[in-house]
Amino acid sequence: MKLLVCVSKTPETTTKITFNGDQTALDTSGVQYIMNPYDEWYALVRALELKEALGAGTVTIINVGPAANDPVIRKGLAIGADEAVRIDKDGGSSLDVAQQIAAYAKENSFDMVFFGKETIDYNGSEVGAMTAELLDVPFVSFATKLEVEGNTATITRDIEGGEETLEVATPFALSAAKGLAEQRIPNMRGIMMAKRKPLNVVAAVETTNHTQVLSYDLPAEKSAVKLVDPEDMDELVRLLSEEAKVI
Amino acid sequence: MAAYLNMDTLRFLLQHTHDLEQILTLPRFADHDVDSINIMLDAIKDFSDQELYPVFREMDEKPVHYADGKIITHPGLGKILRQSAELGVIGGTFDYEDGGLQLPNTVGTATYFIMDAANNNVPGYTGLTMGAAELILHFGSDDLKATYVPKMISGEWGGTMCLTEPQAGSSLSDITTTAYPQADGTYKIKGQKIFISGGDHEHCENFVHLVLARIEGAPAGTKGISLFVVPKFRPTDDGLVPNDVITAGDFQKMGQRGYCTTHLSFGEEDNSTGYLIGEPHRGLGYMFLMMNGARIGVGRGGIAIASAAYHASLQYAQERPQGRRILDNGRKDPNESPTLIIEHADVRRMLFLQKAIYEGGLSLVLQSSKYLDLSLYGPEEDREKYKMLLDILTPITKTFPAEKGREAVDNGLQILGGYGFCSDFVLQQYYRDIRIFAIYEGTTGIQSLDLLSRKITMHNGKALELLAGEMKATIEAALEQPELQKYAAALGGKIKETQEVLGSLLPFAAKGEYERFLADANIFMEYFSTLVVAWQWLQMGVTAKQLSITGAGNFTDDYLEGILHTMRFYFTYEVPKMNGLVEIMRNDEELTLLKEKAHF
Repeated sequence: MKLLVCVSKTPETTTKITFNGDQTALDTSGVQYIMNPYDEWYALVRALELKEALGAGTVTIINVGPAANDPVIRKGLAIGADEAVRIDKDGGSSLDVAQQIAAYAKENSFDMVFFGKETIDYNGSEVGAMTAELLDVPFVSFATKLEVEGNTATITRDIEGGEETLEVATPFALSAAKGLAEQRIPNMRGIMMAKRKPLNVVAAVETTNHTQVLSYDLPAEKSAVKLVDPEDMDELVRLLSEEAKVI
Repeated sequence: MAAYLNMDTLRFLLQHTHDLEQILTLPRFADHDVDSINIMLDAIKDFSDQELYPVFREMDEKPVHYADGKIITHPGLGKILRQSAELGVIGGTFDYEDGGLQLPNTVGTATYFIMDAANNNVPGYTGLTMGAAELILHFGSDDLKATYVPKMISGEWGGTMCLTEPQAGSSLSDITTTAYPQADGTYKIKGQKIFISGGDHEHCENFVHLVLARIEGAPAGTKGISLFVVPKFRPTDDGLVPNDVITAGDFQKMGQRGYCTTHLSFGEEDNSTGYLIGEPHRGLGYMFLMMNGARIGVGRGGIAIASAAYHASLQYAQERPQGRRILDNGRKDPNESPTLIIEHADVRRMLFLQKAIYEGGLSLVLQSSKYLDLSLYGPEEDREKYKMLLDILTPITKTFPAEKGREAVDNGLQILGGYGFCSDFVLQQYYRDIRIFAIYEGTTGIQSLDLLSRKITMHNGKALELLAGEMKATIEAALEQPELQKYAAALGGKIKETQEVLGSLLPFAAKGEYERFLADANIFMEYFSTLVVAWQWLQMGVTAKQLSITGAGNFTDDYLEGILHTMRFYFTYEVPKMNGLVEIMRNDEELTLLKEKAHF
């Protein structure tokens, strides 16, 4: 069984977010990067578990980005992926990334394509569904459980107020949510051995950009806490009604 | 989760101040690169976040204890030790043929620093196992290596160092544990050992004790001491059999209460077999060949606690509103909202003091680790030079983090005011935990004697000369940066002053007045370690300036300015304290040499 796991590089979770002068991109000064946790902890680890359970198959990780992404890709190899592919293209919209991944996946035919449910930087949740559409395979989002029997997978996904369980035949794509697996911390030997695993750099395919970022804005700062005298219920009611507008 | 260290600081020091890339150019480390090392450090940080830090307070609140002849530790310790071994922290620096990964000691120090900062109760267990395995690998027979080391690297068996005895304390020449030769070449061991860290617990199948003992009839003093492997259970063809090693108790301590400190009794039934390591009567020498690494490890642990305390008190200072700022008219406006305490100058002073000690101390620990690597694996012709640099820095690397780290934690606790004294907050635990580090592996008194009586004068002062040369190279680099020239000059002045201080002390030794020469060795240690860490800070200042120009490392301007500001703080608030210490060392009152006990 051939499994493809798509991994993104995202800012480390404690990064203080600021934007460049015209508010169109993240200010990357001082930013340290990690593998997107949804890709690493859930998508990649569940793919590895499946391969281990089957005792056969390959897990390939794929990233669209420049050479600066290689350390993040190497971490995926250290965790256990058999090989890695980097499509050599810096930047691009969600559709562009999906087109790059789909082109590679189509040429190399995979049984399952894994995505994290979203990246923790732009939170688009777009690339997985777009890729599936381009590959013309079913897409199951927000998967929290995945079992495979032969060519059929049983997937549980989160829905509003509950869960939904589906059956889907391979090939398909899914996006992984919390619960699908548990983080694996690579050991030092695995990290060292990862250098010997193949990291193939592939030229990007031609695409056309359809979107343009106009600007990013930070959420409004939280207002200060207001302390209300416990005896002054009228003031509390007034604040809840007029300012918080919850009653 | 609360922060206990700053990975940017570790990265700044490891990669830029101490140039990890240069270390990795050595042939031994050819299979490693900076990216892999970064992934390893991140993996250790993830492990520390998930497994070590969450049980740090619990290990203190439910301490190790002795019951029914057994040492009872935290129930999660077994899982943590297994995971530690799987990660590779026991054998990471060992040779490939011994099951290791040939990682630099500098990287080993960085990995243990992370774990120590997260939970200083735990790394001692794996660190001692690593140290014991390393001794067997260096000096033991092939049979001993094959029998014991693989199980130690895998974490199935623990390792300990058994030196101290009840009647001898730090005075190893007075140990009485005896080894009786047997016809089969083994020895029967008989004696008591106390303060044995990691000496026994329920999570390891076996313990491999490295025991200092005298072979029956051996000469008195340290020259008659041999080193033995004495397992808790003897490996035989029929499996493990008890080896008459009895755990007599666990010392209840003020700190590190999750880390067992045992009393072991060997051979109460004349059935404790020991296996000689290397040659007879050379045990202490073997032990001391590993001592530089062990003492760096103590320094690392102390500075890791100072790091954790700094970050805990910083977080508090950034969140706690209290008091009001003093206005330009000298008054406070009671109608203003309370200000965060980080706005108070005295709180900022305490934060900068902690930052200066912990970052400067961490830099020193990494510097010594780098010299350890270069002395072992550097170019053949340079190894002696780096060995001397390592030798002279080792007592300081052990002592500064312990002594000044304690002061740093004390200031961290002070920032919390009354809450710092309360068990609801973690600072009191760090305060208790760090206290032992001035005692571990040779007390501050012993380190100070070692520094002044041996290291300063070794090879006719050659080590000191080399160290001064390293400092002067930093001064030259600093002089290229206008902003650093003032501090470069200050360090240069203190190097000259040190020569004058030694010029007034060394004649006592030349005249045979050794007691006078060494009476204020502790003061000299404080003085000299302040100088050495000033050198580290100047190096860090040079690094920060260079990175701010090149943009390498992708540090924020605020981060680099924070380094420069803390360097200025160290030179302004700490270096001047050397003046008072000089005055003490030049006194001619000889107050501590008076023999009249009645004055007490």
